[in-house]
Amino acid sequence: MIISLNWIKEFVNLDGIEIDEIVKRFGLSTAEVESVNYVGNDIEKVVVAKILKVENHPNSNHLHILQVDDGSEQPVQVVCGAPNVRVGLKTFFAQVGGRVKQLKIKPAKLAGVESNGMCCGGNELGIEADTSGIVELDDSLKVGESIFNILPIKDVLIEVDNKSLTNRPDLWGHYGIAREFAAIFNRPLKPLNLDDPSAYSKLKKLNIKVETKNCFRYSSITVANVNKKVSSAIMKLRLNYCGMRDINLLADLTNYIMLELGQPMHAFDNAVVKGITVIEADKPIVMETLEHEKHTIEPGAIVICDDNREPVAIAGVKGGLKSGISANTNSLLIESACFDSMAIRKTSRKIGLITDASTRYEKSLDPELTITAIARLLYLLKEIDGGVKVSSSLTDVYNFKYSIHTIKTDADFICRRGGVNLKETEIVNILTRLGFKVEKQGKNLLVTVPSWRGTKDVSIREDLVEEVFRMYGYDNIKSSTMCMPLKPVDKLSTHEIEYEIKHALASIFNLNEVHSYVWNYLDFNKQIGIEQNSMLHLMEASKSGQTGLRVSLVPTLLKIADENKNKFEDISIFEIGRVFDALDENNLAVERKKLGIVLASESEKDEKLYFKLKQIAEYISNNLVGANLEFKTPAENKIYHPTNSCQIFANKQVGEMGILHPAIAKKIDARKQFAVLELDVNELISSPKQTFKYLPTSKYQPVSLDFNFVADKSTPYSTLENIINNFKCNYILEHSLKDIYINEQTLKDKISYTINVTITPKDKTLSSNDIEKFSKRFIDAFASQNIILRN
Amino acid sequence: MQQKIDEILAYLNNKLTAAKSSADCQAIRVEILGKSGKITELFRLIKDVPNEQKSAVGQLLNGAKQQAESLISAKEVAVANEELNQQIFSAKKIDITLPAPKCTGSLHPRTIVQREIEEVFTSMGFVVEDGNEVETEYNNFTAVNVPENHPARDMQDTFWLDNGQVLKTHTSASQNRILKKYPLPIRAIFPGRCFRNEDVDAGHENTFFQLEGIIVDKEVSVGNLIYFMKEMLSKIFKKEVEIRLRPGFFPFTEPSFEMDVRCPFCDGKGCPTCKNGGWIELCPCGMIHPQVLKNAGINPEEYSGCAFGLGLDRMTMLTFGINDIRELNSGNLKLLKQFGIKN
Repeated sequence: MIISLNWIKEFVNLDGIEIDEIVKRFGLSTAEVESVNYVGNDIEKVVVAKILKVENHPNSNHLHILQVDDGSEQPVQVVCGAPNVRVGLKTFFAQVGGRVKQLKIKPAKLAGVESNGMCCGGNELGIEADTSGIVELDDSLKVGESIFNILPIKDVLIEVDNKSLTNRPDLWGHYGIAREFAAIFNRPLKPLNLDDPSAYSKLKKLNIKVETKNCFRYSSITVANVNKKVSSAIMKLRLNYCGMRDINLLADLTNYIMLELGQPMHAFDNAVVKGITVIEADKPIVMETLEHEKHTIEPGAIVICDDNREPVAIAGVKGGLKSGISANTNSLLIESACFDSMAIRKTSRKIGLITDASTRYEKSLDPELTITAIARLLYLLKEIDGGVKVSSSLTDVYNFKYSIHTIKTDADFICRRGGVNLKETEIVNILTRLGFKVEKQGKNLLVTVPSWRGTKDVSIREDLVEEVFRMYGYDNIKSSTMCMPLKPVDKLSTHEIEYEIKHALASIFNLNEVHSYVWNYLDFNKQIGIEQNSMLHLMEASKSGQTGLRVSLVPTLLKIADENKNKFEDISIFEIGRVFDALDENNLAVERKKLGIVLASESEKDEKLYFKLKQIAEYISNNLVGANLEFKTPAENKIYHPTNSCQIFANKQVGEMGILHPAIAKKIDARKQFAVLELDVNELISSPKQTFKYLPTSKYQPVSLDFNFVADKSTPYSTLENIINNFKCNYILEHSLKDIYINEQTLKDKISYTINVTITPKDKTLSSNDIEKFSKRFIDAFASQNIILRN
Repeated sequence: MQQKIDEILAYLNNKLTAAKSSADCQAIRVEILGKSGKITELFRLIKDVPNEQKSAVGQLLNGAKQQAESLISAKEVAVANEELNQQIFSAKKIDITLPAPKCTGSLHPRTIVQREIEEVFTSMGFVVEDGNEVETEYNNFTAVNVPENHPARDMQDTFWLDNGQVLKTHTSASQNRILKKYPLPIRAIFPGRCFRNEDVDAGHENTFFQLEGIIVDKEVSVGNLIYFMKEMLSKIFKKEVEIRLRPGFFPFTEPSFEMDVRCPFCDGKGCPTCKNGGWIELCPCGMIHPQVLKNAGINPEEYSGCAFGLGLDRMTMLTFGINDIRELNSGNLKLLKQFGIKN
C-alpha cells in the first residue's frame, strides 16, 4: 500500500521530524517499508498559462499553434496536439528550461513550426488519469502561478509491504496510519471532518434486508441531486499518487474514502437500485462487473441484490455493471458494509478477482467504521457539490454487533515479558496513545481494546506486550542471558550418526552429497524403464507437475546422475533423505530415512564399484554404528542386476545394493558402469550392536602360514570364512585372504584361494610339532567340506 | 697362545679392512666370534692348560675376545654409516610438486552450514531434534495456533496429501512433539526440510530447509531472545553482529518479530547482499504464543518461551554467496563438487 505523507499530515502534525526518522520509526514500530519515493521533484517551471490564440498548423491536421500568456512579458508561441485547446482556457504550461518527468523542455520545431514550451496533460504531470487532452484549470487561477502553489505535488510516498499489514485491518487507510504516527511520535491525532448523518433521521428509511450471517453490518443512505461530475484536483492527485485512477466524482469519492479510512464503499445508481437484499447465493450466478467482465459466483458467496432480488454486486469484491454509476447518474445509494473476512476471501479466490476492496475485507475490518465512512463521504461530497440532497435516513442493519472486549493485565507481567523495567505510567501512556482505554484496578490494568484493533489482532495480554514494546522501541530492549540449570545435553544419536555418515562418505570415500526433491518423477522413471508406485500423492500437483511421493531414493539419484552424465566421466553421489513407502494402521505416512548411493564410472569395472559399496556399507556399520553386516544374493528390487546384487542384513534387513540392471544402465548412459546402494539409516542404527571385547595380546612369537585351498567355483568365499571362524584351537588365530587364482587350463572349474593364517600361542613358544599338528587339523576342517589343499 | 691370538687378530684386521658391507661384517663376526669361531675355538683349548696357568690364559683370551669385539663393532658402525650415506645419496629425487590424489568428496553446502549452526547451539546447551517431513494437520497447523480458516491452510499454499496429511510447511510443525517430549526447561533446535506450493524461481523454492529453535522456561523475555540471536549470529558470522527486531506477525508467537542483522559483509555500509539497505532480514521469531504452550500441556501462567526460525537455505546462500536458491536442490555437481567438508 502506498501512503502519501501529505495526506497523513492532514491528520497529524509531523513538523520538525526528518523524513528518514519518520520512515525508520514506522518500520521499527509498525510495518515494513518497501520503498520511499520523493515525487514532484521532477516537475520544474510549470505554471498556469492562458491560451490567447489558437491557429491551425499548416503541416498537420491535429496540431495547433497557440499563443499563451504564462505571465511573461510577451505571449509565448507553442505547438500543441491536444484536442481541447481553445481560447481562454487556463492550463498548466511547462516553460522552456523546465521539466516534466523525463522530458526537458527546450525550444523545438514541431512539424516545422517553432514551439517554446509545452501545455501539459494531467497524466503527463502524474496528477490525474486523464489522457484526452491538456489540464483544464479553474479560471480563477492567476496566470504565471507555479504549480507548486496550486497543488501539493511535492510529496513523499511510502510504500508499505502489504504482507506486514495482514493482521492490521486498521492500517489499510491513511487515517489509521496517521494514528500510528501520532502514537509513535506522541502527537495528537486530529479528528476527521464529518457530516452528521443523524440529521436525516426524519427521512424515509431504506429497504435493506440482510439474509446471511456473513454480512455483519450493512449501512446505507441515498443522495439525490448530484450535479458535479468532476473530483477536486487534490482528490485526483491523491488517488493517482496512491496507485489508483480518478474516474468521476462519485467513483472517486468511494475510492478516496477507502484509501483514507480503509473502509471499502460502493455507490449504486439510485435510479436503478432502490433497496438492498444481501443474500448467500444458493445457485451459481453470472454477473457482469463494471469492467465488463463476466464472473460466475458459486453458491455460498455473498451477493448484493436490489429489492427485486436481482444481483447487483459481488459483496466485498466488485460492483455489477447494470447498477453502477454512469455519466448520467445524479442520485446514488451508498453502501458501507462489513462482511465476514473468510467469505470474501473465498469468493475472491474462487473467481480469481482480488480487488482493493476484497483485500481489505479479508483483513477483518472494524464494523464500527461503516457509519464514519458514510459521514465522511457526505462531508466531502457536500464540500464539492453544495447542491446535493440526502434523500433517506441512514439505514443501518447491524446484525452481528462487535462486542467490546477488555484484557486484564498488569505492569509487572508486561515488564517481565519484555525484559525491561517500565513504569506503569509509561505503559498506560503508550496504550492510551494507541486508542486503548486503560483502567487501573489496584495492581491490575483493565485494558479496553478499540474496535479497530479488536476484530482479530489484539485479544490477549501478550498482544499488549507487543503494543507496549513496539512503541517503546524493540531496539531499546537490552540483550540479557538466562539463568538455567547446567545439564549435559542429550545428543540425538541418529542425528549425530547421520552427520558422521555424511562426513565419512565425503571425506573418506570421495562421494558428493546432493539434495533433491521428494517427488516421484514418473516420466524419468518410465524413460529408464523402472516402475515406482507412490503410496502418497499430492492433492494438487506441484507446480512442476509431480504428484506422487518417492518410495525409494534410487530413482532420484539416478535422475541426478543422468543430469550430470555428460559433464563427468565418474559420478559418485549420495543423499540421506526420506522416502514414504507405507501407511500405518491409522492411515498415516510411514517415513523412512534412507541413505542412497549411486556410483557411475567409465573407467572402473562394475565389480570394483560394487565392492566399493560393500566397503562403504561395512565402514558405516562397523565403524559408525557397531553392527555386523551380512549379504544375501541377490537383491529383490528389479532395478538391480539379477545376480550381482544383494540384500543387506544387520540382524534384519536394512537395505540392498548391487550393480544396476544393465537394461536401466544402458538407458541412462551406455558408456558408464553403475552400482547402487540403498540403506535404511534408522533401521541400521537401531540394529543390535556387537559388544566389543579386546583380545589379550601374547608375548610369544606368532607364526605365519599360507594355505592354498581349491574349491568349486560355485563355492562362495564365505564358506571358507565360516570354516575359519568356527575352527577351534588354543591359539590366537588371525587370517586374511591373500590371493585368488583362476586358471581354466590347470584348475578348470575350480578356484584357488591363498589364505594367510597367523597363529599366536598364549602360554609357550610354538614347536615345529605344534605347527604341524595345527596345519593338519586346519586342512582337515576344509577337506571335510570338499575344499582341498593345493600342492 | 699369545702367538695364536696375535695371528687371529692380524687375520681379523686384514679381513675387516677388506669388508665393504654389513653382511661382510656379519660373516666376519661369525668367523671369529661365532659358535665355532676362531677365538671361540681357542677357549676350548683351556681345558688342556695346566691348572696354575688357567687363570692367566683365561684372562688373555677374554682380552682377545674383547679386542676382537670392539674392532668388529667399530667396523660395523662405520660400514652402517657408509651404507646409510650411500642410500641417502643415491635416493631418487622425489618431485613433491607433482599432484597428490585429491579428496574429491563434498558435503552439500546446506549440511556444512547446518552443522556449523548446530554446533553453536549445542555448545549453548541446546538439544538437536529431528522432525518428520509428512505431518498431521494438527501438528502443522492447529498445535501451533494457525486458525482453522487461515489462508496458509489453503491448497494453493500447502501440499496436502491424499491421506489428509501435509508435507510440513514449516519446522514449527515439530514444536508440539518436542515440547511434549522433553522436561522443562527446554532448549532445542530442529532443522528440517519444508514444503510450500510455490512457483520456483531464483528466490523461491517449493522444497527448502529451515532451522527452528525454542527456549521455554519460567521467565523467558524478549531480552533473552535478543541475547541468543546475537550470540548465535556473532559465532556464525565470526564477528560481533548487531541485530534489530521489527514487528512481525505469526500465529505461533506473540509478540512476533522479524529479526534483521546489520549486514556482516559490509558492516552496514551497503552492498549487493543487503541490497544497499545495511540490514539483512534473517529470522522470524517471537515469544511463543500461550496457546501453543497450552496445546503441549505447558501452563503459560507459569512458563514462557521464545522461538525463532532460521532459513537454512538463506543462511547457506549468504555464507557462500549463492544467488539462486534453485542451485541447492539442483543436483548440479559442477556446483556441489566445489564445496568441501567444512566452511
